[in-house]
Amino acid sequence: MRLVIALSVAVVLAVFLLYTSFAGGATESLRPSQLAGHDGEVQLAGIVIGPVTGDARAGGLRFELKDFDGPAKVPVVYTGSVPDLFQADRHIYLRGELENGVFVGKPDSLVTKCPSKYEPKQDSDPA
Amino acid sequence: MPGLGRAALVVALGLVLYALVAGGYAALKGRRRLHDSARNAFVGAFVSVLAASAVLLGAFLADDFSLSYVADHSSRDLPARYAFAAFWGGQEGSLLLWLLVLTGMGAAATLLNRRLVREVLPWTVPVLAGVAAFFALMLVFVSSPFATQPAPADGLGLNPSLQNPYMMAHPPMLYLGYVGLTIPYAFAMAALVAGRIDERWIVATRRWTIAAWTFLGLGVLIGAKWAYEEVGWGGWYAWDPVENAALMPWLVSTAYLHSVMIQEKKDMLRVWNVVLVALAFCLSLFGTFLTRSGVLNSIHSFAESPIGSWFLGFICVVAGVSIALIVWRLPLLRSRTKLESLVSREAAFLYNNLFFVAFALTVLWGVAYPLVSEAIRGIASTVGAPYYDFFAIAFGLPLVLLMGLGPLVAWRRASLRSLGAGVAWPAGVALVCGIALAALGAGSSAAGLVGYTFAAFVLAAIALEFVRGTRAHKALGDSSWAGAFTSLVGRNRRRYGGYVVHAAIALLVIGAVGIGAFQSEREGRLQPGQALEVEGYTLRYLGSTQERAANALELRAEVEVSRGGESLGVLTPGKNRYFAEQQTSNEVAIRSSFVQAEDLMLVADQFNDDGSVYLKAIVNPLVGLIWGAGLVFLLGSVIAMWPDAREQRRLARRFAEPGAYARA
Repeated sequence: MRLVIALSVAVVLAVFLLYTSFAGGATESLRPSQLAGHDGEVQLAGIVIGPVTGDARAGGLRFELKDFDGPAKVPVVYTGSVPDLFQADRHIYLRGELENGVFVGKPDSLVTKCPSKYEPKQDSDPA
Repeated sequence: MPGLGRAALVVALGLVLYALVAGGYAALKGRRRLHDSARNAFVGAFVSVLAASAVLLGAFLADDFSLSYVADHSSRDLPARYAFAAFWGGQEGSLLLWLLVLTGMGAAATLLNRRLVREVLPWTVPVLAGVAAFFALMLVFVSSPFATQPAPADGLGLNPSLQNPYMMAHPPMLYLGYVGLTIPYAFAMAALVAGRIDERWIVATRRWTIAAWTFLGLGVLIGAKWAYEEVGWGGWYAWDPVENAALMPWLVSTAYLHSVMIQEKKDMLRVWNVVLVALAFCLSLFGTFLTRSGVLNSIHSFAESPIGSWFLGFICVVAGVSIALIVWRLPLLRSRTKLESLVSREAAFLYNNLFFVAFALTVLWGVAYPLVSEAIRGIASTVGAPYYDFFAIAFGLPLVLLMGLGPLVAWRRASLRSLGAGVAWPAGVALVCGIALAALGAGSSAAGLVGYTFAAFVLAAIALEFVRGTRAHKALGDSSWAGAFTSLVGRNRRRYGGYVVHAAIALLVIGAVGIGAFQSEREGRLQPGQALEVEGYTLRYLGSTQERAANALELRAEVEVSRGGESLGVLTPGKNRYFAEQQTSNEVAIRSSFVQAEDLMLVADQFNDDGSVYLKAIVNPLVGLIWGAGLVFLLGSVIAMWPDAREQRRLARRFAEPGAYARA
């Protein structure tokens, strides 16, 4: 009987998980070079290329985002909270979608990774 | 000096390898003296690692930048108290801390349990030594903290956000938790190899498990406190992969702490318990792997480092060996007792376990999802906070309810009628609370209202248990109520300590529901003199100030807070611009109020050239209970762990009779 309960719960759970993660809820995580041809909201990760212009609270902050290991890049416009560590050459990721060749970020979705400066070869773990 | 540190690590590696080989041979052949020698080698390895750690700490205190690790994580103007934080600020130091804690705890556990588990003990030494050997190998050959370089004039410094008292406590707490889970794992595996699968290994490691679990829980909570005050996005837990890395083993070990009681009392769930203990250990290794490899996008940044693949390999070996041992001993592990009723204390424990493990696996699935989807479809997908929030509610609410019901259900077979009678009081209290809260407007979030009501139910049920127990002890002849209460808790430490922990979880739930379901936020661009209204507070921006401190330019917005025309003082959220690190950090201003039972949090998000400021104001109701819950949690754990001479004597008697321990 115990086994039956455990198995049934496990099966229900597995189906449920597969359903929620494949049918919705999950966001694709891409690099600038992979962006072409993807509609809808995705998560974009890359390196910030300056100059950073504009105002994140009025009209949007403008910069370019480049692949970690390649030349491909895409212009980005973003409004909302800007993390403390945000600046050129930092690794960031944000959610949003591509509109007419410009990646429009969702408000408050920008996340900065910690600067690599503290450990030139291998990044450190702040927490 | 670096030479000494390196040498100490090589010696430690040699000693644990000896402990592994000699200990294994001794256990196989039953050589008592060889076993003692292997155990002593393991203790010696601890001393050796301690020496290596002392060398590294000394290098930090002496600003010896000829060590790359010191140069990368410290600087001349770093205050001495942060030398400790710098010690585990990077990968090599963290691994060293792992090995130090592992050898220390392992030595203590094997020495303290010499008598209780004589047949099992010989095998624990090689298991512990095997795990230690992996970390020693990493430290000697792959990731040495003692690599040298021509000394630069100054070090790179420690990340400013790590220069915080919470960050001094958070990582070592987590490590004590992760590593502490090695002890029950080693004893469980040793018991499997030795074929002694009665509950002795559980009893011998009970306090170690509770201690590890307490450290893990507090570590997560301290990290949350740091994030709340330092990162300043208004929340306390963000389902970041690295936070989840510590949450998963905590959830599984919570399940384990409950299910072992079934094995001790009813001799059921033997297989389940070894599976849980192996899973918890694998997850703690996986947690270390996540924090030390660059596989996932996280607020915690890590470059892809060679250590990642080593760790993954080691996790596979551990999982493989554990599964093989469990399958091999399956015939012995089958229990002869069966669940008698679906409405019983045993069944309640079982449901609790299923929910905890399901929750942990859900989190694991969410964490691993980017890797799985990338492997399958070529594109990494991530699941966000909504996914986790959904399951936290779906599994969390039934767990809270079970936490209240469980202690009220009778063992073996409970009638619904007796259950109803026991539940009536707390259910009534919860119902009144729920109705009162709904009348006060808490109905804006259904899950929030249910969470509050369930938490009230749990607290009422626990209070009832304490009252009933105290009354019974008074009737048994204790002269005073205080005396009855003390003897009640003193004679049943695990049970009543457990109830205190339950109360802590109920408080945590109330705080988490407050911040999760009833948070309010307003933001806007303010010119000097303009004001923002949020939840009855009026926030008037007076102007900004600039001050040059030793290492940073400190920008502050002066905001006058008032409520109902009454001034509550000036808050000064702002930003620090650090010169050397060329980095900005938010300095959140928080006003905690006991009267309103809420936090007002101000973030000066952006200072504009025209003198205006973009201000974010967040009101978090009841958030103080989350931190208070941490203290109650600690209190409960300490009660449950407190040494009990009477219990020790009882166990010694029980295990002394041959065959007596395997009672059905």
